[in-house]
Amino acid sequence: MKLKLTWLMTLFMAFVMQLSFAQEKTVTGTVTSAADGLPLPGVSVIVKGTSRGVQTDFDGNYSIKASTGETLVFSFVGMKKSEKKIGQSSTLNLAMAEDLAQLETVVITGYAGATNSSKITSAIATVSSESIEQIPINSIDQLLQGQAAGVNVNTGSGQPGQSATIVIRGRGSLNGDVEPLFIIDGVPVDQDNFRSLNQNDIETMSVLKDAAATAIYGNRGAGGVILITTKTGKLGSGVKVQYRSLYGVAVQPQARFDVMNASQFLTFQRDLLPGNQYGDTLSDADIARVAGQTNTDWTDIFFRNGKTKSHEITVTTGGEQSTSFTSVQYYEQEGITIGSGLKRFSFRNNFNTTSADKKFNFGTNLTLNYSVSNFVVDAARGGNTGGQLDNPFIVPYIGLPYLSPYNPDGSINIWGTGPTGAGGSGAYNADGTLDADGAAGFLNTPFLALNTAALNTDEEREIKVVARVFADYNFAKNLTGGASFGLDYTNEELIDIRSPLSIRGINTPNLASEFRGSQTEQFFRDMSMIANAFIRYDNNITEKLNLNAAVYGEYNYNNRQFDFYRAFGLNPGLPGSGSGFTSGSATEGDDSDVYNYIPDVGSSETELALASVFATLDLDYDGRFGLSGSIRNDATSRFIENRDGIFWSVSGRWNIDNESFMENADWLSTLKLRASYGVVGNQNLGFNNRYIGQQTVSSGSGYQNANSYVLGALIDPAIKWETTNQTNIGLSFGFWQNRVSGELDVYNNTTTDLFADKPLSLAGTGFSNVETNVGELNNRGIDLQISYNILRKTDSNPWDITLTANGNYNKNEVTSLPGGFIGNTLRTAEGRQARTWFLPRWAGVNPANGEPLYLDVEGNLTNTFSAANAVYLDKNLDPTYTGGFGTDIRYKGFSLNTLFSFQADLYKLNSSLAITEDGGLAGFANQSVTMLNAWTTPGQITDIPALSNGGLRAVSGDRYLENASFLRLRNVSLSYNIDRKILEQTNVFTGVRVFVQATNLFTWTEWRGFDPEGTGSGGFFDYPVPRTFTLGFDLTF
Amino acid sequence: MKKYFLILTMAFTIVFMGCSDQLERTPVDSLVEETAYRTVGDLQLGLNGAINGYSPNQLVAFNSIFTDNIKLGYDNGGQELNTYNQILNADTGDRGLWASRYGAINDFNRLLEAASAITPGTLEVDQYNNILAQCYAFRALMHYELLLYYGFNFLDDSALGVPYVDYVSAVALPARNTTSEVLIGIQADLDNVLALLPVGTNDINFATADFVTFLRARIALESGDYPGAINFAGDIIANYPLANAEQYLAMYRNDANTVEVIWKYDSALGANLGLFSTWNFNGPGPFMEMSNELGGLLEDSDVRSTVNIDPASVPDDNEFIVGKYGLNTDEQAINDFKAMRVSEAYLIRAEAYARTMQFGVLSQNDVFAVRSIRNTSAVMPSHTSIQTALVDILAERRLELAYEGHRYTDIKRMKSVLNIGIDRDASDCVGAVPCELAINSERWIFPVPTVEINANPNIGQAAGY
Repeated sequence: MKLKLTWLMTLFMAFVMQLSFAQEKTVTGTVTSAADGLPLPGVSVIVKGTSRGVQTDFDGNYSIKASTGETLVFSFVGMKKSEKKIGQSSTLNLAMAEDLAQLETVVITGYAGATNSSKITSAIATVSSESIEQIPINSIDQLLQGQAAGVNVNTGSGQPGQSATIVIRGRGSLNGDVEPLFIIDGVPVDQDNFRSLNQNDIETMSVLKDAAATAIYGNRGAGGVILITTKTGKLGSGVKVQYRSLYGVAVQPQARFDVMNASQFLTFQRDLLPGNQYGDTLSDADIARVAGQTNTDWTDIFFRNGKTKSHEITVTTGGEQSTSFTSVQYYEQEGITIGSGLKRFSFRNNFNTTSADKKFNFGTNLTLNYSVSNFVVDAARGGNTGGQLDNPFIVPYIGLPYLSPYNPDGSINIWGTGPTGAGGSGAYNADGTLDADGAAGFLNTPFLALNTAALNTDEEREIKVVARVFADYNFAKNLTGGASFGLDYTNEELIDIRSPLSIRGINTPNLASEFRGSQTEQFFRDMSMIANAFIRYDNNITEKLNLNAAVYGEYNYNNRQFDFYRAFGLNPGLPGSGSGFTSGSATEGDDSDVYNYIPDVGSSETELALASVFATLDLDYDGRFGLSGSIRNDATSRFIENRDGIFWSVSGRWNIDNESFMENADWLSTLKLRASYGVVGNQNLGFNNRYIGQQTVSSGSGYQNANSYVLGALIDPAIKWETTNQTNIGLSFGFWQNRVSGELDVYNNTTTDLFADKPLSLAGTGFSNVETNVGELNNRGIDLQISYNILRKTDSNPWDITLTANGNYNKNEVTSLPGGFIGNTLRTAEGRQARTWFLPRWAGVNPANGEPLYLDVEGNLTNTFSAANAVYLDKNLDPTYTGGFGTDIRYKGFSLNTLFSFQADLYKLNSSLAITEDGGLAGFANQSVTMLNAWTTPGQITDIPALSNGGLRAVSGDRYLENASFLRLRNVSLSYNIDRKILEQTNVFTGVRVFVQATNLFTWTEWRGFDPEGTGSGGFFDYPVPRTFTLGFDLTF
Repeated sequence: MKKYFLILTMAFTIVFMGCSDQLERTPVDSLVEETAYRTVGDLQLGLNGAINGYSPNQLVAFNSIFTDNIKLGYDNGGQELNTYNQILNADTGDRGLWASRYGAINDFNRLLEAASAITPGTLEVDQYNNILAQCYAFRALMHYELLLYYGFNFLDDSALGVPYVDYVSAVALPARNTTSEVLIGIQADLDNVLALLPVGTNDINFATADFVTFLRARIALESGDYPGAINFAGDIIANYPLANAEQYLAMYRNDANTVEVIWKYDSALGANLGLFSTWNFNGPGPFMEMSNELGGLLEDSDVRSTVNIDPASVPDDNEFIVGKYGLNTDEQAINDFKAMRVSEAYLIRAEAYARTMQFGVLSQNDVFAVRSIRNTSAVMPSHTSIQTALVDILAERRLELAYEGHRYTDIKRMKSVLNIGIDRDASDCVGAVPCELAINSERWIFPVPTVEINANPNIGQAAGY
């Protein structure tokens, strides 16, 4: 840009004294974009060689005095500069073409904001709005899967709005936070809660991956930073109104396991399974009769087609000095099982204004959201393990196929059936009375899950506000000062009702109490505020040397408050109301001295404060070399003795493409070498360790139930942040007008002072360990992001095809850990990758006697299971390879976009499958069809041991350790933009886009279950991510 | 443009002024150690917390399940099989006794340290001194227990014992002290208790002067100071009557009588030891039951049969539910642990007589005093040798102190004289369950847990582990 200015100035100087004798006239015209035909406001139109210049107006029109023979120069950011000689006509229209060499010219970085990509010295991946808009996935972090190199996203669960777990460039901490810092429009926000936010508001997401980009975030930056920028209007763009809608249906994912049908199961019980079960009492004819009447596939009962719908109106305005973006959205998504869903109402207003002399800027971002989430008892909820019998996703595995889901009248049975001996589910005694224990028992699992879903409530209502005001003022030559205040506010109200009429409610508070049921309400408030002020100096020291330096002060504060009550004995006529609670002072029993209804109450609060000063320096020499540095001092309330930490980075670039010796290399559009080194920290030891630097004393009840003080967990007063030293070397490239472009980065990150438990002498200290800074680990790897524009749209070619791909290879190694290892079967051990499996090896079934076989440590066969035979399996929970690839195909108004995501080389224990291959449970839980192959005869070769060995789940070693690698067609969409010429005739619309899309349509994996992803290290009846089909319209007025 | 400048200046001021003093964040939901203890009242709260850290449960469970007083319960689903199978390893075998006792010792040491910074007001001196006395008393009791279970030889002054810890440290890696060093520390603590206890301290839920005497009697018996044991036990016997049958029943039902109790660990609603669940589920039946052998030894005429065998048992089917801490009339199993009773003092004295060759009338009388008041059909025993005396005393202790945490250490103390180990009745050890523990087994000394071994190179593991 500087070069262009100089060039213009020179021309100006050269021609300013010349007089023009040519005849002047007024030339008018309209400038439009060649790509979409829309008028381009703000295009600079200059008469070549003069100082005469104007800008186009809102409608792209301009009017300038010029003479025939003179040349008009049209220029606009992102467009190819165009020169047109003035002929006889006084009208000159122009369709400006995009300058593809300048595409993606702007990158959002930390505190500096939008920066020209050629000036970037750090490793940053950018995800634009097009790749995340209108996709029915309701958590911003989940949307990142497969979109950026080095960003590993685990979706976790299929509950609508479920937050993902993101790890950037490998696990960098053991006990501390591994997820990146999320910042929306300059406000740090809760990294685990995005369900209330509207992703259609997002303009770009920048993933900051190396120290050069993240050191400016000091002791919160080690896990990377994700910067989210929301949409704004453009100056001079007028008013644009858009209505967007989405309709869809979520369906169950593919099941990659088979359980028995009624006939198989009853025959299995009778013929193969030792012990006495229902099946043993039946003849072949009985089995045929029972299975003929009822053969339930519980998958059909528990999965439903969940509806999705979304309506959104956005208004974008752009005047001469002010712009705004406003959106309102109503969104509703049902989960794929009854009782799971998300509804939300989102509002956003972004406003920017500038003074007439452009020296003062002011703006606000505000989003207000309200959402209601309904939950089932899934594996990710609360403290659940997945093994809860009212988890709907346990039923397709263990629900007995000979139980009918229906009442005689055809309605769904939510209570269960009679005694188990007669083929019932055990919910009722023979005399027809309810058996409270049986109703909550294993056999009654399907009905219990239906009962909980139908009668009980587990709901969270959330208010989420993210707001910011900011201003800056260019108060003196080269000097700008600015300040901003931001807020992230979350208020959650959880209501959990165990209806007195439900199976879970009838034994609450206990079976002897007269009134039953309970209601829990939890109130949670999380408030983060940030205040920031800066002064920036920007000057061209010499003609070629530009210096930009800034100093900042910042204060962050977070407050979390939590309180709850739980009341007992509900009046079923007053559901959800305090009027229905039984008084806590009510007594029962013969002597009226039993208090059944005393409510539980509780309250807690924690705070965290961070005060920081920091500075940045950027030098650019001639557009060819750049040097950047940052330094930050963070003082945190979390640590006491080591309160202040200093974090810094230096980085440089060499823009080889701007070198004179590359001038003639037409094939080269971009070639930039980057290198960075820096020190970043991680102070986040989790919510429970906000006072880890202070030895606490807890108040509670002690001996004789009297009030008491006891020492909290032992602390190390010298505990401090984890430190990561990050090195990154990168190459940004673009060939043939950037038809092939991309970024290649290699990195090496070493984390020292890891948070981990240091072993202590119990005798000497009273504690077995203390959490402190010990241990060291290393992540090194490669990020590659590449885009290939195979066909580029031209006047003669209507096709435009682009292939994109990104990938990451990461090698993690724990280099030092006191005590050598932590964990049991999933270990973090010195010299190995964090979270590596350590299990005894399963070696199949002995054909001679049907016994399970194992390998001992030396690899010899043995028939005894022993934990002492566990070995490191070189199989890890974290993937070695992650990434995604996709296509963007456009033809006329049509556009086909696909995105595939993948994770490879990761292993998880398939504990769900283990349940269905455990003969010890086959009396009351359905089993996998593989169990029909159980060993019976000497010499038989099979995978399933003789059933006489009983349940082997606890002694299965690595039998169920499965490869959880997957390739997923994350999203595919086909859209059609109706031709502008047709729309012009309507006089209503300026744009109409219609699209159909499928999300998570296919998943390729060896994992035997619904979903290779999930919340834990062992898949245990996780809520699978659904396949979603949607149809939508975007109407622009 | 001045207004813009003003806005910015204000913003800067707020940001920078705001930062400076905002980092001192103290916990909202808990106290900080430096400031938690300011008054004697605070120390009292600390004492309530520290005593709560002591628990007799590990000892009650281990002494019954590891020995011949327990068999598998009819509702067992895998519970307690390790201890029942006499697995005593460094990983979990000690049932957390080492961690629990040293954890509690640390609490008392920290409380003593906090107390040293507080000067009580005139009216608070007694309360203050009592708190200190309780700290010393519990510290002594716990070191005694550690020495008894982990020490290499209680009778040998120079044998390695356990670390005696009377300091607060975050880094210490203590080595074992010798038996005599530990005993010197314990006796010094007990002297402190007597010096500090306010006159008239007689709450048997806490340490008293008689607690000190009683503990000294136990220590004297274990360490071979038999004259001392006779004296200390005699002091106790002189001050406390044995409970008659009615009082004895009341003692174990509803905690309604305490005539023969010197010290008990109090259970309360909300702070219940829950001893009943040592062997029993809350709703369904027992996972561990009284051994058939012990069930057979408890005669119908013996009130201890009524107390130990739960009314829900079916003795004819050899189904004996441990009922010593059973449901009270309020249908709740909230029971105190009667840790020191005068009957034990009789049996301590009897053993001390026998071991000093005073078996015969003296030892017989002490045993018979206990036996006859419990069992209406008791007959006077005949102690004709140290062996016959000790066999009789051990048998009486088995009945009298059943499920009170003594059986393993009783056998341990007498095994070399009587040449016995643990010997279960065949019907109490069906299948692969071991029926005996040899006299020379390493398992008569507890292994130091692995976590301590890993962290503390100075500690030294007991032989055989």
